[in-house]
Amino acid sequence: MTGASGRAPAFVLPRILGPIRPRPRWIESRLLALAAVALLVGSLSLRLGTTGEFGLADARGLGIYLAALVLAHVAQVLAGRRSDQVLLPVVGLLGGISLLLMERLPQDLVTLGEGEGALGLGDVQLIWLVLAIGVATTLAIVVRSDAWLRRYKYTWAAVGIALLLLTFIFGADVAGQRLTLRLGPISGQPSELLKVILVVFLAGYLSENRPLLIEQDTRIGPLRLPPLPYLAPMLAMWAIALGIVVVQRDLGAALLFYAVFLALAYAATGRLSLVIIGLILFFAGSALMANLFEHVGQRVEIWLDPFADPLGSGYQIVQSLHAFARGGLIGTGLGKGLPMVGGRLPIPEVHTDFPLAALGEELGLVGVIAILGLYFVVIQRGLRIGAAAADDFRAILATGLALVVGVQAFIIAAGNLKVLPLTGVTLPFVSYGGSSLLANAVVVGLLLALSDRGVEPPPPPSEATGWRRRLRRGTP
Amino acid sequence: MDPFLLVIWVVRLLFLGLLYLFLARVVGSLLRDLRAAAREPGASPGRLVVVESPAGEPEAGRSFDLDAITTLGRDVNNAIVVDDPFASSEHAVLTFRGRSWYVEDLGSTNGTFVNGRAVASVSPLGFGDEVSIGQVRLRLERARSS
Repeated sequence: MTGASGRAPAFVLPRILGPIRPRPRWIESRLLALAAVALLVGSLSLRLGTTGEFGLADARGLGIYLAALVLAHVAQVLAGRRSDQVLLPVVGLLGGISLLLMERLPQDLVTLGEGEGALGLGDVQLIWLVLAIGVATTLAIVVRSDAWLRRYKYTWAAVGIALLLLTFIFGADVAGQRLTLRLGPISGQPSELLKVILVVFLAGYLSENRPLLIEQDTRIGPLRLPPLPYLAPMLAMWAIALGIVVVQRDLGAALLFYAVFLALAYAATGRLSLVIIGLILFFAGSALMANLFEHVGQRVEIWLDPFADPLGSGYQIVQSLHAFARGGLIGTGLGKGLPMVGGRLPIPEVHTDFPLAALGEELGLVGVIAILGLYFVVIQRGLRIGAAAADDFRAILATGLALVVGVQAFIIAAGNLKVLPLTGVTLPFVSYGGSSLLANAVVVGLLLALSDRGVEPPPPPSEATGWRRRLRRGTP
Repeated sequence: MDPFLLVIWVVRLLFLGLLYLFLARVVGSLLRDLRAAAREPGASPGRLVVVESPAGEPEAGRSFDLDAITTLGRDVNNAIVVDDPFASSEHAVLTFRGRSWYVEDLGSTNGTFVNGRAVASVSPLGFGDEVSIGQVRLRLERARSS
């Protein structure tokens, strides 16, 4: 395969993708088979729990989903990259659980189209899941070089800020939050995509300035800080997070962005002082927000005592806690959770914000721990891919991608369980929603691509110019 | 007990059991992966990959596992011999202190460069950075662990 000169130009596609040599992925295929069996048994359990009978037609949705997973596996085998083999089955199992849950919830929560051919919640989620698998697999196979991420980090940052501003200005208000951006028939939540862009930018910034952030000191009293000009992005990040809270009223995204930012700054520099200052800023900002803005203060009050107004503002949390309590140790069984109470859902927004409560009711403590375990595996894979990466950019990128998924899962799980104030972020891979599923698919695809250690060496870092160059020369 | 209810119970528990079997398998393969990484001999703190070398010594594409102190230059006593007309006999030294790499110029005639910037005295070096000695460009990478 080395003699490239003698090759006929007929193999255009293979030349774009690089030389293709199929490589078996036994671990992945075994894990996928096990996940498929588990999901089929889950589907059987769901049918027995709801209708009491099981026909082949009932498993149609799950069958399509599993076929998509198998196709993704086969595509990766054919592409022959040495990427991670655990990630796809784990995420696939989470997606499958999501599908079972969405098929079980009332189908008219979300509808697409009208009349006879209208698609319900389960069908729409199936379409998004299959698209997500497609996106993740494509990225995993096609992305060979990270230059397009590394080189244009300020462009990415600009795209992210533009998305944010567009949502600020043109976003549609849904339930008091300005999160949704509509472009004709397509609507989406940019904050889901924004989290990926944020990680890409931070990886680029931190890997480029890491030596300086580690080496040089500015002393303020007992604290040793990195040089002050390098703290500017940190303050900017804090301001952006506060802006998201004030303008978009999106506490979840603000918390997620800020937590991931702090974690990455610590991972890249190993300086505890950054984390301490970040936490001080965080608590100061939170206290300020809770006192100044009613929607933030109300969240905190509900969190402290949801039973103060169990039928009004505390309703969601109280119902969620009841659901977990009904579930007990091993749950009521799939499909046996409480159906509609008095013509309305026991938990409003169960398909986006409270899927963990629904799963907690039907699978119990044992099931919820298994699901949290799956998220831990995703985080472990990401950190491992980061630790094995050849250079700082890839290491920080992989770490950040894993953390952004893990922290988001933690924020919403803690919100459902009243460990943290409830903030409306989605449970990655499980919640209903196209933006969420596609953004997390991008994360998985990039992690898979990064886990293959370099067919192509990373390009040399670009030389700093202009004011950044002056900064680097010392004496800012 | 109603046999139908019994079947429902068995299927329910089977689903939970399969979830845990899956987790156990996953954790098993993660542990194997970690053990294999721990068994890797000689955890080198990094390696240098030759990106460009017009004189052919060292060859472009070659990679060197680094010791905590690695000297570079034209003299044969250096850990990495850079046989380039623009390199000094004792040109530069790479040192690994604490958790990061540093490069120091040993008073070479033509200087040592990191990402195109001249190294004044001792300069920190990140993974992915490029060191230039004469016309030879070398990139610092993390050692391969898997």
